[in-house]
Amino acid sequence: MGVTDAPWMLGVRAPDRGRAILVVTVDCELAVAVHDAVRGGMAIIRDARSEDADEITAACLPWPWMVIGSAVSLTPALASVLCHRPVLTFWLGDVPAGLPGHARCFDRPAALLDAVRGACAAQVGEMRLAPGSGVELDDGTLMRGAMLESLVAAYPHGFALPAQNFRAVSNALTRSHAGWCVQRDETGCVRLVSSQVGAGR
Amino acid sequence: MRANPEVLILEDDAETLDELQTHFTRKRFHPLGARSASRALSLLENNRYSSRPVLAIIDWDLGKAPDRSASSGDVLSRLARELRECPVIVYSQNIDAFNVRSQIQRSHPRALLHDKRDGDASLLERIDRMLDRTVGDLRIHDGTVVVHLPSLDQHHHREAIRLVVHHPDIVTFHSDTATKAVRRFGEWLHSHNSAVRLVSHGNRKYRLSVTASEGAAQPCDKA
Repeated sequence: MGVTDAPWMLGVRAPDRGRAILVVTVDCELAVAVHDAVRGGMAIIRDARSEDADEITAACLPWPWMVIGSAVSLTPALASVLCHRPVLTFWLGDVPAGLPGHARCFDRPAALLDAVRGACAAQVGEMRLAPGSGVELDDGTLMRGAMLESLVAAYPHGFALPAQNFRAVSNALTRSHAGWCVQRDETGCVRLVSSQVGAGR
Repeated sequence: MRANPEVLILEDDAETLDELQTHFTRKRFHPLGARSASRALSLLENNRYSSRPVLAIIDWDLGKAPDRSASSGDVLSRLARELRECPVIVYSQNIDAFNVRSQIQRSHPRALLHDKRDGDASLLERIDRMLDRTVGDLRIHDGTVVVHLPSLDQHHHREAIRLVVHHPDIVTFHSDTATKAVRRFGEWLHSHNSAVRLVSHGNRKYRLSVTASEGAAQPCDKA
């Protein structure tokens, strides 16, 4: 069969700046299901096991857009990324120690896959995810930046991270007159808010 | 003089390989055929600086290969690392099996999957859908040119063909020479008032975008 004898050479470990969904499980079934759920070109699916999760996490540049896990504990590099970067975090089944407060947990694969589809198709005002990377406006303008992609995909939810982490994306939204700004909500999460609502607070 | 774009074909069955090579030759592509993974790796290595295939067709099961020193997974991993801009179709009798799909996608996360049980004709039909593409007001002709349909003007660079084949996906180009060619293609589209425009994602990443109100593209052939 086609299995390589050089696992360190696997393409899944190759660094890439495209939008990445990292799936960390003990077997392959959830990753295959996620692959089927995501429209071609929207994101690449990186199918990881606990033993290579750290290397594959590091290969997602600047960080994974989404991490999906099931039946595994968090590896050190993965835990660090999840706690310091705005990564959409979806977990199936028992929740391991160290997941950030904004992680969404699911009992059934179908509900998780619906959430994945929803994140890929997210639309916030005129902003939606462009294929592969970036956020596209209705007039075709492409806004680049992993933070903005995360905020758009998480909407109406947000990230339990310090607000200063989002200063650059906040400035970019102001410059582009997109009609949206970044604010901390009542649950302590930083998320996108319509500028009119934000100004009224 | 036009350089016909290369297509890498890894197929261990001599008869099927011959059929695929004939098909691509007829379509004016230059087939790089290999019956073993080690031969395919040599072809990639030898053509590293002169050319880069616009498509790779990989048979996952190489039971009849004359040399088994390397696997189809090795070829896929090399393609994923060094020829990210090359679309890859992998076919297998066991493509439905979770472990086979996982092994293929860990070797090459962007690989498109095809069921070998559907027959060679089905594979050729899928390849033709990818290579004879119409995107907005552009069409690939004879595998060597992109034609702007309203004016019938032609653009000959292989990187332009690569962008049309990949639409709507992003293509990461490997060199400054390639990105210059891509930018010239973008200017050519603009000068022809094409419904298709070039979008830069930075870091040598580009894709084509079709103006929504203009000619609709064919459905994307993505697994």
